Amino acid sequence: MLRAFSTAATGMSAQQMMVDVTANNLANINTSGFKRSQVDFQDLLYIKMREAGAEVSSGIKAPSGIEVGSGVRAGATQKVFTNGELINTGRNLDIAISGDGFLQVTMPDGTIKYTRDGALQLGPDGQLVTTTGYLIEPAITVPTGATNISIAPDGGVNVTTNSGTTIIGTIQLARFTNPSGLSSDGDNLLSDTEASGTATTGTPGADGFGTIQASFLEKSNVQMVTELVNLITAQRAYEVNSRTIKAGDDMLRNSIQIASV
Amino acid sequence: MSDMNAQISSAVSGLTRELDIIANNLANISTVGYKRKCNTFSKILSAQESQQNSAGEAELKSAFDFSDGNFIQSGRTLDLALCGKGFFVVETAEGPLYTRNGSFDLNKNGQLVDSQGRTVAGANGPITIPQGISVSQINVASDGSITAGENIIGKLKIVDFKDKENELTAAGLNCYSAPKEVQPGKPENVIVKQGYLEGSNVQMVEELVDMIMVSRLYEANMKFLSVGSENTKSLINVAMG
Repeated sequence: MLRAFSTAATGMSAQQMMVDVTANNLANINTSGFKRSQVDFQDLLYIKMREAGAEVSSGIKAPSGIEVGSGVRAGATQKVFTNGELINTGRNLDIAISGDGFLQVTMPDGTIKYTRDGALQLGPDGQLVTTTGYLIEPAITVPTGATNISIAPDGGVNVTTNSGTTIIGTIQLARFTNPSGLSSDGDNLLSDTEASGTATTGTPGADGFGTIQASFLEKSNVQMVTELVNLITAQRAYEVNSRTIKAGDDMLRNSIQIASV
Repeated sequence: MSDMNAQISSAVSGLTRELDIIANNLANISTVGYKRKCNTFSKILSAQESQQNSAGEAELKSAFDFSDGNFIQSGRTLDLALCGKGFFVVETAEGPLYTRNGSFDLNKNGQLVDSQGRTVAGANGPITIPQGISVSQINVASDGSITAGENIIGKLKIVDFKDKENELTAAGLNCYSAPKEVQPGKPENVIVKQGYLEGSNVQMVEELVDMIMVSRLYEANMKFLSVGSENTKSLINVAMG
């Protein structure tokens, strides 16, 4: 059978993946702290019919070889960790990280996950929790009777009670050597992997960590126009690969007609 | 008669191979740093047929077209594009490979690697980003030197093959390998652009036009074949009375 069929099929499935990734980016265009993904495609192995530099006749070497590739595959999906736009929400427990770093979240089983979504809430016992209800690490508990909570750029959580203003804890940030290696776990959470390396923690504003902006949320860094352009490109590329299959099919039909004369 | 059949058969196999090449170009229309393969067989063939000089077997050249692709802004700190002639070098167990795909990452030790985890070569050994420096602080200058904050960390190794480019063979996964006797040289007029990726240089319209051409030439050759076999049949009929 024609090799072109399977080659075009790899092209079609690659473009399908591009549409899938773009669809997820677009679906999360309003998700706080969401980072867009991009697909990195790679060509597959080549079938060598003649090596470059092979002798074609005595003393004459072919200036270029004959090699036919066998298509494409998705090599990686990379998260793009550029900062999203910061939106003023006016809510005192909304925080955005301006710069590098992730908030740390304790899961029910004790493991730590990471997020850029800073829409914090108060738990039933006054702890700072994420929207899903997971505790922020290090755990910070707001005492009962607090009249005002404010979060400083260095992560310090100040609480005003009848007896004055006190700092009840500091939000710590985590950072990775290779943030692209983090695995996405849904619910705006990321977890560390072999590839990302282990987290380095620190205080906001120090050692290159970003600062905390209270009353702000970080929007997703998805740009609608870029994604739409990707979508159109992927759609057309899918179409053109299906044309290859059509052309191959026409050629085969021709041969079969001749054979049946 | 058999001579003509041989010519047609070689033309048909050449055209089939050319469709494979076009299929691969089109499949890689979104592959970063992909260089299209030229498909000249059908052009030579159609030129020959219009000159009534059917030598049949035209040489199937499948050289790479190393012209630059479009530059796509991605905004990622470790996305690098080469503007002009040159290649990045990645180290493998089988020796260096050359690539135009500058979509790099760091591994957990802070070394600059490609998306397959292969080390990207620096001018003086692998490039390691020191602990405590985040990816967003990395700055790549147009000559390939990498700074993080104020410290110079290293310089990317960028090579060029000048007129020997076509002796490179595609190794797959966006890389090319060079035969032993071909040594890379220093690049000229190459600029590294940070935050950009070089798109594939496949032009959809060109490939589609070539595909139609291949399809039509294939059809024409098949017609010749059927006319040929009709003629043989009637000749045999005449001879046998």
